[in-house]
Amino acid sequence: MSGQRKKEYLDIRPASGPHPNPLPKGEGVFQQSYSFVQIFAKEWRELLASRSFWLLLLMIGPLVGHGFITAVGLYAEASGIGGGPAALPQGLTPLDGMLTPAFGAYDLAATFLFPFVAIRMIASEKQSGGLKLLLQLPGNLATKLSAKGLALLAGWLVTLIPGLLAISLWKLYGGHLYAPETLNLFVGHLLRVMLSAGIAVAAAALAENAASAAIVTLGFTVGTWALEYVAAYRGGFLQQLANYTPTAALRSFEHGLLQLSTSIAMLAISVAGFALAAIWLHTGRTWRFRLVGTAALILVLALVGFGANGLRGSWDLSENRRNSFSREDEAALRQIRPALKITVVLSPEDPRLADLEQNVLRKLRRVLTRLEIHYVASTVTGLFEKPEDHYGEIWYEMSGQRVMERSTIEQVVLETIYQLAGVTAPQHIEENVFGGYPLTAYPRGAGWIFYVLWPLMVGFVWWLVRS
Amino acid sequence: MSDLLTVRDVTKRFGDRLALNGVSFSVQRREVLGLIGPNGAGKTTLFECLAGIMTTNSGTVRFHEETLQVMRRKEALFYLPDGILPWSEQTVNWALRFFEKLYRTSKTKLSELIEPLRLDEIMKARLASLSKGERKRMLLALGLLTPHELLLLDEPFDGLDLRQTRDVMTLLKDHTANGRTLMLSIHQLVDAGRVCDRLVLLSAGTVVGEGTIPELRAQANLPDGGVEEIFLALT
Repeated sequence: MSGQRKKEYLDIRPASGPHPNPLPKGEGVFQQSYSFVQIFAKEWRELLASRSFWLLLLMIGPLVGHGFITAVGLYAEASGIGGGPAALPQGLTPLDGMLTPAFGAYDLAATFLFPFVAIRMIASEKQSGGLKLLLQLPGNLATKLSAKGLALLAGWLVTLIPGLLAISLWKLYGGHLYAPETLNLFVGHLLRVMLSAGIAVAAAALAENAASAAIVTLGFTVGTWALEYVAAYRGGFLQQLANYTPTAALRSFEHGLLQLSTSIAMLAISVAGFALAAIWLHTGRTWRFRLVGTAALILVLALVGFGANGLRGSWDLSENRRNSFSREDEAALRQIRPALKITVVLSPEDPRLADLEQNVLRKLRRVLTRLEIHYVASTVTGLFEKPEDHYGEIWYEMSGQRVMERSTIEQVVLETIYQLAGVTAPQHIEENVFGGYPLTAYPRGAGWIFYVLWPLMVGFVWWLVRS
Repeated sequence: MSDLLTVRDVTKRFGDRLALNGVSFSVQRREVLGLIGPNGAGKTTLFECLAGIMTTNSGTVRFHEETLQVMRRKEALFYLPDGILPWSEQTVNWALRFFEKLYRTSKTKLSELIEPLRLDEIMKARLASLSKGERKRMLLALGLLTPHELLLLDEPFDGLDLRQTRDVMTLLKDHTANGRTLMLSIHQLVDAGRVCDRLVLLSAGTVVGEGTIPELRAQANLPDGGVEEIFLALT
């Protein structure tokens, strides 16, 4: 018995005299992977033992259900159910009509519920003393935090069940779905929740306890809302920064747009959150190490953010191509080689600027590689601009030629650009126009599923797991 | 016996307060070394510094005569803290199996611990529901399941009754006989005298004595007397 036990200690004792290599060599890839799997399994069990996770599961069903039932009802009304006048079919898209409102519950959950689940995973280790054991287990802290992150992600995938139920019901009612825009929305919510997890984990590592971490996390959320509010009337750099707030970033996915810059920025912030936690959670690190590590992390994040901001790669995955000009216009615009400079004399709060941005400029950015846009209004509202300030003018400049136009309508702007570039305006083909998908169906059975069966099932599974 | 671990001039400050003041001592292979001292002497702080989960202001730690960097402490030794309650919603069985699988120890190793630590009666219990003594026994099992040559056990007998204390002492002695080296932090001086081969006396962050009981008695100029008398004489 004793001989057998001897073999189980690390084989580091010399037969006699000093040992030439007193410590075992670093863990190999296999050993690291094995430890990672074991620690992931532990984190998954810990997640299942967390009441906050079960509360999230309990609440997500009714939240998704409410969004879905309301959306299907409104969609049916807009489609002319009950004999009322139907809206233009072109306006009836499943992305706007059902997916975005139903999955809006996940944005709510990622903002107000999921961070508490993530905070609990870190704070419980700190408060129970488990962190002292965790730090000594095989593998570095970054790997252990990755295991926690993966467990959180797996937990989030479980919360997607009500969303998948909503999609199934929609199909059952005869609704249409376009796979690319649906998957893009999933990706958006996944990145959104990873962002939440990164921020919550970093807050939990930095803060003294779970309550402080919750305050920090909510403070961050409120801060991003404030940034969006301020950016809306300040414009400029703040507006650029506000494009990366969780809500704004998710919005582009909700519009069926997959932007490389937004995706990279969200992913980078998520990873940075976990990295920050790895730096600060290890109690055996000096203040100098932590401060230098944090400074290096901020520098890397800033470089990645700066690089991502310059990336123009984006894919319009919406079925109605709402983020793109018509295929004919895009083909014509791609022929334009000279740089186009647009000078907009409209204030940030002017609705015409919002129209121009939404209908023209954001589409133009995706097609023209050599495009410069300058916003030169000197006031916030534009109400008190002087006539000599040229307020309301939009100047287009290409190859030394300048043209002024005041319209923010897509066709007018495109014609101006074509004239300036000497390109013939294309003919539009009618069959390429999106027809829309009206659906006159009531959300039958959805109330029972989301408000009754889901909570009962969550309660039952929780009881099973507990026992 | 040769030195397994050599600690030199370890100092730890918390602001203006000096918690460890140039602590130096050595741990010999296959011995039970007792770190004794009153509450606030710096025993737990010293353990956490040695385990690399707390920073030190200065000092060196050598393992098998080679400098042991903080990053590699967990490869050389395992520290079992006192008063922790990790994974409170999990069962004892799960916690033990987790360590067993993580360190890939044999099934027999755990089964050898079940009887002396009386774990069979609490295997299905949640950690949150354990009494202080039960929790201590479970934590001791976790520590003894690790493959490390050197274990630092903080207050291993705290919360145990007389019989359990005796059983755990026998178990620890059995482990040292089989190649393990133990360093125990103990505030019960009688227990320390019964289980430890040598003692390090810590008072207000300073080592005031190191050696076997006869050696310490000589340092204290006492013709006879136990650990309590020696401790009182040296502090």
